Amino acid sequence: MKKHQPRHHSLIALSTTALALPGIACADSPPLQSTLSYKFSNYQEDDLPRREAPFGERQRYDIDIHQLRLVTPSGSNTSLQIDASHESMSGASPWFTTADSNGEPQVNLSGASGLGISDIRNELAFSGSYYFNSGTLGASIGRSEEDDYRSSYAGFSAQRNFNREMTTVAVSFSYAEDDIFPSDAELFNRVLDEQKTVRSIALSVSQIINQVTTFQTAITTTDQSGFLSDPYKLRDIRPDEKNQLAWSNSLRRYFIGADAALQLNYRTYHDDFGISSHTLDAAWHQNLGNTFQVIPHFRYYTQSAADFYTSIDDFSLPTSNSQSSDYRLSSYGAISGGINFVADFGDWALSFNSERYIANHKYSAYDVSQPGAGLVQFFRYSLGVDFTF
Amino acid sequence: MSTTLRRIPFKAMGSHCEIQFMGMSRIEGRKKLHPLLNEVQRLERKYSRYDPDSYLSEINLMAGNRLGIKIDAETRLLLAHARSCFEQSDGLFDITSGLLRKAWDFTSGRVPDAQEIEQLLPHIGFDKLEITRSRLIMPTGMEIDFGGIVKEYAADSLARMARNLGIESGLVNLGGDFAVIGQMPGGHPWPVGIVHPDKKENLMARLTLNQGGLASSGDYERFFLHEGKRYSHLLNPKTGWPSDGLRAVSVAAELCTLAGTTATIAMLKPEAEGIAWLQELGLDHVYMTADGTIDGQGMTLVKVTSESQLEPQSSTSVNNHVIN
Repeated sequence: MKKHQPRHHSLIALSTTALALPGIACADSPPLQSTLSYKFSNYQEDDLPRREAPFGERQRYDIDIHQLRLVTPSGSNTSLQIDASHESMSGASPWFTTADSNGEPQVNLSGASGLGISDIRNELAFSGSYYFNSGTLGASIGRSEEDDYRSSYAGFSAQRNFNREMTTVAVSFSYAEDDIFPSDAELFNRVLDEQKTVRSIALSVSQIINQVTTFQTAITTTDQSGFLSDPYKLRDIRPDEKNQLAWSNSLRRYFIGADAALQLNYRTYHDDFGISSHTLDAAWHQNLGNTFQVIPHFRYYTQSAADFYTSIDDFSLPTSNSQSSDYRLSSYGAISGGINFVADFGDWALSFNSERYIANHKYSAYDVSQPGAGLVQFFRYSLGVDFTF
Repeated sequence: MSTTLRRIPFKAMGSHCEIQFMGMSRIEGRKKLHPLLNEVQRLERKYSRYDPDSYLSEINLMAGNRLGIKIDAETRLLLAHARSCFEQSDGLFDITSGLLRKAWDFTSGRVPDAQEIEQLLPHIGFDKLEITRSRLIMPTGMEIDFGGIVKEYAADSLARMARNLGIESGLVNLGGDFAVIGQMPGGHPWPVGIVHPDKKENLMARLTLNQGGLASSGDYERFFLHEGKRYSHLLNPKTGWPSDGLRAVSVAAELCTLAGTTATIAMLKPEAEGIAWLQELGLDHVYMTADGTIDGQGMTLVKVTSESQLEPQSSTSVNNHVIN
């Protein structure tokens, strides 16, 4: 091709329409090469404002996460994936809440006692996939360990393509058994050793609507039973059963002229603690040539409070009453946004993700009778590198 | 990684097709290429003009319906490309011209009378179609077909899919329309030979393809002689009579689709104009004129001697021949 010559107007016109022709999305197939990925993330919660925590420690969680993943074809129809991660966290989390002279909740962080939390979490998971002509079967098993928490889990998934591979139906099951054995249990009169089991079933349907649009809808039901309270809070008593139902929808549309894709997700959730939530997020995946991609993203989240949420711990109630001052159970809203960059150099790819998150009871679309104390604001970034060989 | 060339032959779109790749066993390759074969079949079923159940047949059945037919995005984009072919060829490349086959039967070798053709011409003309964002409204008696676009589009699509599947080195050949998946190992281009229109056992040109595609248009076997005159299967939609231009054209471009449409347009133009058009575009090409002269640009022209005889194909040699 003679690239140095000015291109003939006919050639420009014909290439423009030829290049716009879509190729259809690929059917199931195992990876043909191995990919090794490493990602470092830092998650840093803002200090609590002095107004909410007038005494003592205000510094909250700071978490560093190292993740390593290997995906490798292990036969003509199977692939194996290994995930390992190492997290180190330090800082403090809300211990209990009290009322100030105006009746406003004040947060006392666990670090106030001088025993700020410092923990390490290690996780290792294996998963395998079997690809056949019209679908994929997958199984996974993993274990996560901390000083005071251990989780073992297993999952199974199956997906099948129909309708000339325009429709994919997937079902997955997962089961986890967790052990909770808080540190300094005797010193702080915490529970010694408790268990929790989590069972989840998800059903999803993905549809290629046309060459530029795909839609996915999924229903997930999760049932948790056992010790569901926070052992590190001075007073945190939650029911020992929780049933959750979530419905997620995702629409992705590629814009040929802009060489970009818009992804819109909406999720609604309900559980029998009394929490309902809605999440709306949008991301714009802008390709810049064949190498770079810039992805600005935005999310809005809102939830109602759990039935037993209290912004101020009531130590007068009998311990048979459910109550929790965990801000995550309060009525609040959160907005977050950020920008991700991806550079793909063929065998090498680099990524950078960033996100700023602000939760506030003022953003809630639900009734806020008791504003949560200690709602988080955080900044998270990650740097990743993928190597294909 | 294995450096043995694998060939997966199959029949699709009425042609002998083949996917060639390096680095996998034949059995592994067959499994991995399954989605590609599905994709060719999908396009064939969707746009076949022979299959009465195809989507294309459904579209053609709706000719005359004032509400038209709802078209999907893929069809809309194919129509957009067909429009640009029509406009850039001054009306010579016309997807509504298939109707002329009613008068021209190339198997019987009968020359139709002028009246038969005259009756068809009012039903031909891309500009008579009304295309909105989601609908195609086609006047009574008209029909469309994407011959000359879909096979080339399929070749490009397959090459793109193969790359997405992680295949680095390979070549798609759909009945002489080539699309490169990726260079041969070691960064070498794929050698491709173009068969001489008259002497099937000889090459007319050789070239190497690094990327993109190669497509050919020619009267090869699809013509007939009547009273000493050669009638090409390529019909001029304006006159209804076979085009009187070049005998064969092959073009290499960054997409097989682009190569195919430019080669077809060059064939439909009068000979001198066809040659001028190829030269203006600046794409690598080779052509043969009515008097048998072979010329072009960016390709190695092969003199017809015993040396240019085709070697028998084996799994280890790389001979890609245009068989139109």
